[in-house]
Amino acid sequence: MTELVQVMILGAMLGGVYAVMAAGLTLVFGVMRIVNIAHAAFMLLGAYLAFWLFTRFHLDPIAAIAVVMPVLFVAGMAVYRLLFTRIVDSHRHVEMTVLLTFALALVVEGVGGSVATGIYRTTTPEYASDAIDVGPFYLPTGQLYATVLSFVLLGALLAFLRFTRTGRAIRATMQNRAAAQLVGVNVERISMVTFGIGIALAGAAGSLMSFLFTFFPSQHWQWIASLLALIVLGGMGSLAGTIVAAMLLSITAGVVSNALGPTWSPATFYLALFVILMVRPQGLFGKKSEM
Amino acid sequence: MTLLEINKVSSGYSGGPNIVNGVSLVIESGKTYCIIGPNGAGKSTLLRTICGLLRPRSGTIVLKGQRVDGLRPDQILERGLCFVPQDRSLFPDMTVAENLLMGGYTLRDRRKLADRMAAVYAMFPILDERRSQRARTLSGGQQQMLAMGRALLLDPDVILLDEPSVGLAPRIVQQVFDAIARLKAAGKTLVIVEQNARKGLECADRGCVLDLGEKRLEGPAETLLQDPKIQELYLGKRRARPELL
Amino acid sequence: MAEARPHAPHRTGKLPAAGSPARALALVVVMVALLVFPLLQVATGGFNYWLHMMLYAFMYIAMATSWNIIGGYAGYISLGHSAFYGIGGYITGGLMTFCGISPFVSAPLAGVLCFALGLPLGLIALRTRGPAFIISTIALLMLARLALDNIASLGGADGMSLPLTDFPARTAKLPFYYGMLAIAAAAVYTSYRVRHAKLGLGLRAIAEDEVKAEAAGIPTRLYKIIAFALSGLYVGMAGGLWGYYLTYLRPSAFLQILTSAQIVLMAIVGGRGTVAGPVVGAILLVGADELLVAKLGSTELNLAAKGALMIVVLMFFPEGIVGTLKARGRLPRALDWG
Repeated sequence: MTELVQVMILGAMLGGVYAVMAAGLTLVFGVMRIVNIAHAAFMLLGAYLAFWLFTRFHLDPIAAIAVVMPVLFVAGMAVYRLLFTRIVDSHRHVEMTVLLTFALALVVEGVGGSVATGIYRTTTPEYASDAIDVGPFYLPTGQLYATVLSFVLLGALLAFLRFTRTGRAIRATMQNRAAAQLVGVNVERISMVTFGIGIALAGAAGSLMSFLFTFFPSQHWQWIASLLALIVLGGMGSLAGTIVAAMLLSITAGVVSNALGPTWSPATFYLALFVILMVRPQGLFGKKSEM
Repeated sequence: MTLLEINKVSSGYSGGPNIVNGVSLVIESGKTYCIIGPNGAGKSTLLRTICGLLRPRSGTIVLKGQRVDGLRPDQILERGLCFVPQDRSLFPDMTVAENLLMGGYTLRDRRKLADRMAAVYAMFPILDERRSQRARTLSGGQQQMLAMGRALLLDPDVILLDEPSVGLAPRIVQQVFDAIARLKAAGKTLVIVEQNARKGLECADRGCVLDLGEKRLEGPAETLLQDPKIQELYLGKRRARPELL
Repeated sequence: MAEARPHAPHRTGKLPAAGSPARALALVVVMVALLVFPLLQVATGGFNYWLHMMLYAFMYIAMATSWNIIGGYAGYISLGHSAFYGIGGYITGGLMTFCGISPFVSAPLAGVLCFALGLPLGLIALRTRGPAFIISTIALLMLARLALDNIASLGGADGMSLPLTDFPARTAKLPFYYGMLAIAAAAVYTSYRVRHAKLGLGLRAIAEDEVKAEAAGIPTRLYKIIAFALSGLYVGMAGGLWGYYLTYLRPSAFLQILTSAQIVLMAIVGGRGTVAGPVVGAILLVGADELLVAKLGSTELNLAAKGALMIVVLMFFPEGIVGTLKARGRLPRALDWG
């Protein structure tokens, strides 16, 4: 029993990180109907940036978030400006964006990979190998810090969306793009900013990832597949759904991994996806029209 | 004083034929203008063209002496013209208060924003009651009031209302037209497109009939209401038909 | 009341709209050339590289054309089609290893099995539209990979090796050449027939506006599922033969998303939604690939170049080569197959 609870605790801790990883993806989809297949590739970019800062300047990966996020925010806005402003109103918009972001992922992986090479990397701050004992359970400090930070980031995001003028504009654009235009929101600019935020979040997640896992360039495919399954499960475009799904899937995957072995843990995401597709295609928090 | 002038405007949707064909209207400040006509006549299209959602293919639109044809909706909004679409275009998961806040999005002056919101709450007490309710949970009539209230946040000179009573039960329709009366009392200039020709003309000063994209009849609302042809076509009055006896 | 009617064009055989006899002749000439080409190898040797390139191109022609049935005609983008590729490969590989059946015999069976598999998979995945569908195809691919990584009897993640053929070295590639050519021809023919049948029309309607198509009475669910299953058929067949050609099967090689990417890219560059498009795209990209490998090596930059190409095509020529030419009325008759 203790083992099960321990596994669930570990799963819950990872859930927060998954939630941050997927939050940017959901946000971008909700506002612009863009399924950013390159999201995880940017996560890895963030991880590599954190790695570089760690090995070159001994900057702690968590502190590195303060550098990684702004850099990726700007990069995200630039990417949006370059690629997406042209195809906004085209026929079959959603598919186009999928293919476009797919191609983008190839470019990011290709360029990043040739610079960083395929060697498996990881950052190694001290807390990555420590653990705190709480009763019969142990909490790896690396994951603990990552989880706390994840919730801080998510909290900041939610507060931003709720209480600031720009955040409100983003939510408005998500809910009714035409109406947002009518009240004077510059939806193009908001889309660009949102994309930047999405990529910045990916970068932050990458920083956290850098000490939680070992990473290599082509790994982003596994990540994006899991994250995509996650947001479909939660309901595409719903931030609340994403967070709930992240926690649920992470805990379940942890239990599965413990019982059947680590290779089956990603399978949990994919199988959960198919189950939800059969039972409730719009996801936990999604609306029917979102399908 | 002429507030809004529409001169021989034609427009249509991408690649298609002209839906609106050479329509000219003159809207006086402080008056209410009602446009009636059959389905597909181009009434909504005309409003969308005036507010900038659609580019006119020919003709000019002059607001307060300045040309506004070809400008973006948010630019026209800045110049004092507001559009309330048929589907109300609310933000369904935002509260009443947040929807109103969004109405004042382009307002940078917080004090003004707060004052205007208070004014809207005063005009529509029911919105005040339901401040923290999500817009999607409001009734049809309340949603219409919210849409109108939101339009007021920017204190526009002209408000375009596209079929405000559509899809609403008769009792609620009355509420909506009471709300419109309040807007009129506040001195707003209104251009209303209405399917419910009687109600529309009753609250208007002037009106016209749009059919197949062209303006047919025009005149003081009173006169139009009395016109037998209009009564027969749009107000449901039957003409005696001997052959059916 | 009899009217004078213009004489209806004489319909030749089963190919509707074959058009001018000149076009049919050109087709025959090309086919004969392709059939006869390997004899050069038999006669003089030294053409093995070309045989390899051509059969590789045939394979991708088959796969891109196949994918086009769901991705181009119906507009449902599948990024997981390499699942069929891998499954097909393992079916023939397994039958070879455990039952001694030659993949030349079992490849068509692998295709049919992939079709059969595509039906229930399509049933589930096609419960969604747009982005959710694309995501479920990716998940499908990942699941297939995980499954094959973990089936010990099929070699697991290390894969399994297959025996070489008995043919003498000089003519060893010939059977594969003809095999892939046959698969490609069958795939293109199927694509052509679908395109000009009610199914094709229905799929096009679905791609334009699914809601309206449903309202018009088109059995959209049925058509989509058939298209999906059909699209897996030739991919599975091709995979079945390719594994034998390589003499090994490995999940990481056969079930990578990159193969899916290649197929999609080919269909798009060529022009999805047309019959000739994927063919053109496949030939072009196999060629371009060779050039890139020669210049940049098989490195990550190659990957970046492919991605960049895809971006350029998507942004500026979303209809692909054949599609854009068609729209401008400049498509040569030779490529105007529908």
